[in-house]
Amino acid sequence: MAEKLQTIVTQISQITAEFQRELAGAESRNDAEQLKLKYLSRKGPIQNLFGLLGTLDNQDRPQAGAELNRLKADVQKAIDAKIESFYVETASIESFDPSLPGQDWPVGGIHPLMVVMDEIKQVFAGMGFRIEEGNEIETDYHNFEALNIPPHHPSRDMHDTFYLGGKYLLRTHTSPVQIHVMESQKPPIRMIAPGKCYRKDTPDASHSPMFHQVEGLCVDKGVSFADLKGVVQAFALKMFGRDVKVRFRPGFFPFTEPSAEYDFSCFCKGKGCRVCKNTGWLEISGAGMVDPAVFGFVDYDPKIYSGYAFGMGVERIAMLKYEIPDIRIIYENDLRFLEQF
Amino acid sequence: MKVTLNWLKEYVDFSLSPADIAKILTMAGLEVEEYHTETRDFSNLVVAKVESVAKHPNADKLSVCTVNTGVKQLQIVCGAPNVAAGMLAPLALAGATVAGGLKIEARAVRGVPSDGMLCSEVELGLSERADGLMVLPENTPLGMKMEDFIGEADTVFDIFITPNRPDCMSVIGIARVLAAFTGAKFIKPVVKFSAPLMEPVEKSMSVEIMNSDKCARYSGRLIRDVQIKQSPFWLANRLHTVGIRSINNVVDITNYVMMETGQPLHAFDYDRLAGKKIIVREAVEGEKFVTLDNQEHTLNKEALLICDAEKPVALAGVMGGINSEVEDSTRTVFLESAYFDPANIRFTAKNLEMMTEASRRMEKGIDPDGTVYAMDRAVQLMEELAVGRIVQSCIDNYPRKIDPVKIDLSVGRINTLLGTSLSAQEIIAFFPALEITLLRQDGDLLHIIVPTFRPDLTREVDIIEEIAMLYGYDNIRFELAPKINQTQEQNPNTHFRDQIRYSLAGFGFRETISYSLISEKLAEPFLADKCEFIKLLNPLSLDMAGFRPSLILSLLTNVAYNRNRQMPDMRFFEIGNVAWKEPQQQGFTEITQIGAILAGKKQQQAWNAQAAGYDFYDIKGAVTAFLRKCGIHNFEQGTVREKIWDKESSSILINGKYCGAFGKINAALCSLFKIKVPDVYAFFINYQDVYENRATGLKYTAISKFPSIPFDLALLVDAGIALHDIEKEIWQSAGPHLVNLKLFDYYQGEQIQQGKKSIAFSLTFSSKECTLSVEEVDRAVKNVLSHLNKLFGAILRPG
Repeated sequence: MAEKLQTIVTQISQITAEFQRELAGAESRNDAEQLKLKYLSRKGPIQNLFGLLGTLDNQDRPQAGAELNRLKADVQKAIDAKIESFYVETASIESFDPSLPGQDWPVGGIHPLMVVMDEIKQVFAGMGFRIEEGNEIETDYHNFEALNIPPHHPSRDMHDTFYLGGKYLLRTHTSPVQIHVMESQKPPIRMIAPGKCYRKDTPDASHSPMFHQVEGLCVDKGVSFADLKGVVQAFALKMFGRDVKVRFRPGFFPFTEPSAEYDFSCFCKGKGCRVCKNTGWLEISGAGMVDPAVFGFVDYDPKIYSGYAFGMGVERIAMLKYEIPDIRIIYENDLRFLEQF
Repeated sequence: MKVTLNWLKEYVDFSLSPADIAKILTMAGLEVEEYHTETRDFSNLVVAKVESVAKHPNADKLSVCTVNTGVKQLQIVCGAPNVAAGMLAPLALAGATVAGGLKIEARAVRGVPSDGMLCSEVELGLSERADGLMVLPENTPLGMKMEDFIGEADTVFDIFITPNRPDCMSVIGIARVLAAFTGAKFIKPVVKFSAPLMEPVEKSMSVEIMNSDKCARYSGRLIRDVQIKQSPFWLANRLHTVGIRSINNVVDITNYVMMETGQPLHAFDYDRLAGKKIIVREAVEGEKFVTLDNQEHTLNKEALLICDAEKPVALAGVMGGINSEVEDSTRTVFLESAYFDPANIRFTAKNLEMMTEASRRMEKGIDPDGTVYAMDRAVQLMEELAVGRIVQSCIDNYPRKIDPVKIDLSVGRINTLLGTSLSAQEIIAFFPALEITLLRQDGDLLHIIVPTFRPDLTREVDIIEEIAMLYGYDNIRFELAPKINQTQEQNPNTHFRDQIRYSLAGFGFRETISYSLISEKLAEPFLADKCEFIKLLNPLSLDMAGFRPSLILSLLTNVAYNRNRQMPDMRFFEIGNVAWKEPQQQGFTEITQIGAILAGKKQQQAWNAQAAGYDFYDIKGAVTAFLRKCGIHNFEQGTVREKIWDKESSSILINGKYCGAFGKINAALCSLFKIKVPDVYAFFINYQDVYENRATGLKYTAISKFPSIPFDLALLVDAGIALHDIEKEIWQSAGPHLVNLKLFDYYQGEQIQQGKKSIAFSLTFSSKECTLSVEEVDRAVKNVLSHLNKLFGAILRPG
């Protein structure tokens, strides 16, 4: 063994011994911090030895380097443990108090509206519906015309639309996604389209110019209104429990015929309460059989295929579920609101 | 559309409670939004006769009257202009309450004692007529309680009529539905009148239709010897209950019949029509016309005008003109009952922003076969109310006949679409209620004719809906074996996005959902050069003027909101769409963005820790961890493009592409958002880039069975050299066995030569094939050193 290497090895053991002695003598956190400074600083003995590496023969250098690295790591570890021990020790010797607060840990979370949205998506995904999405800026054609709502048609009054100029607008429902999907795929189709929609409604407790919708569409041979009722009922049961009843009543949408509104029985189990305005029913949304005119726009043959579509407002369901009295609370993102979920 | 219980009872025989009616109509597609029974307090209100009227000594506009209630004589001070000796009027005695909550008591009015108050209809809440006392019929018994005179309170239903049901914008239409859904008998009023004037109407009036495409039918009648006066109480009151103001007998009758039948009528003062002529023509572009609400409109050539020989006199289907409206002096009335093209009326009404009761019906399609019926119904009422004398012959110009629609209905298709098993007989049994005529049955096919009052029924599927409604949506079964399409894979895009939302929540960020509509002022700093803010043409407010171009904008709004409420510290994220308009772009660019923000303290002062704020490396750590969670282990940094950043900022480049940025939000932007303490750090990343670069098709990689060797390397380099470049070169030059590289110390300052920095890495070497020898590691390190020395002049740090 080369002489210089020997020197280093010797020094390592000296330093180790000295360190152990001093470490044992450290009686406070401050002592330990001092030790750390002494041994691990840039001017400390270990760093000093690293400086000598360059003077070694090439063949000796790795061994010495490795030894030094190990020394440094050991010292570091021992000091850290010592420092740590004073935190615990002070407590444990005097009065270990497990009720002291734990380290602050950041808590994240999912927005309650999205919790509901995710739940809805999950339920339909489980029933074989594929999730499809589209842009929020749409064309008049996809938002209206292809859904059998021609220009100047009275049913446009049901959608107070934000216009962007030219043929562009903010979609008033997620139904245009249905059109995009049918334009690019052939039946069978089973999809839901969740997303943001916009209508020119002045904000109040139950209206918002932006809201979230989930639209569903199923097109295949022999799809019937009974299938629609079945799938909506299945959704209701999965989402709200087995006691929920589903009611369909006539409605009107230009893109479905027959059209329906559907209601779920209220949580008051029909006794009548404030939420259902004593009707026993909660209005959820609309549904119906895809109007043959819509199939015409996407080149499906209505003699071969039939389909159903349904929609629902996510805010409405979230507000019912969490008893949120005012829709505007949802978009304020007040921490005191978000932290409740 | 408002309709009352008593009014409905005139056409359909039923004894249902208001609650039942509301339910039945709702289940028939006529959603009853609310209904209420007028509860009025008529106590201490009696019929009284005015016996004498004298001037009030101290007030010009007041009279002192003696009135007789049949029991006693009272003195009443009255301000009504129509008070006259001999008339009968309602008298509020002490203790009565009149509309508006005024309590009546005996008191002096301007020094003259008054025992009560004689009332107008508005004071009793019976109509809007406030211009005088309510005039009661001469034969009303004195002292009769007003509550007996008025009769039982009626129930008003407010029904939401969907745009496909113009037939139900009438009491008759609603009655017909009620009958169909209850099985009760529907009785359409039979119109009967005597029409004593035998003169040929053509001599007094001719109608010429220039545009039969816009006016398919024009019917009219002439009424002579007209006396314009107040409508009787029942008429004014009934209009009042459905929200229509009483004007005079003629106008009230036209409104009443419109409400009853759905056919808008218009009454012209015949003597003000020039040339005894009506011409239906299109407007000349820019033509001006003053409607009877005294508004001047500039018309385009689409608008349809009703003209006399000289001038326009009405805006077809929307509103009459002020130049021909019925006035108190009107002696002869020409009554119009026409069918105009719905689309054209809608266009004009929209264009002029004139939604009237008439246009609302015309634009959805009234019954082209109903013009004569409605006009005859009106003249019947005119005759009954002695408004005038009817000319027997009438005008009915019908140049473009609208035939009832014929439809072939397949029993099989009905059952397939509904999931029912109805027989042809069961289906045919629904027809009478719909007034559908079965022409013939042809096996599975039913050939039918649909009545003209149902313009919404043009196709087989429309009839299927009617059958479904009458059969009852409740009676259609719930198909519990849904056909599942098993040929689709789940959408990887939405699936991935939901995963990263939950990752960010796991990293301690709270998800927010913010309005995408924001003010232009806030949007401006987020727009790249020459890119434009997407403005709404018709915004609700300046605060919601257009579409957000950045998620950081939304997150800053949320920070400001919470800071204003004494909550300074937060970590938020949001994933959503942002958009802008690129220069010369036809449409818009809309992309999904991921945004996250750190504001305030990351560590609160605590018993075991000092308070600490966030810094640049916190947000960088968040970006790094987030991307790593997505399977993106490396990203490059560059200069930011956005104007929102402080100098402590960096772009995110993935495979050389600008995908986002992070860093400190500059103080100017914070102040724009009214965030007082600018300690806010944020990142945004374009979602699509993350999605495309995410880890896919992952396969297991063998884990080394051999021990790894650590090696610490402390270097001195020029302070200006970026760490990233050094790291890159270490990876380059360390050979195949370097598996981990971590900076564990970084120092610039006193103990170090000026212009230099000290950096220390811990390197880990490992091989999957063997235990590495010390020599191999040493060689690798030497190689690194010489490489770094050559490139950057780096040297081992002297001890």
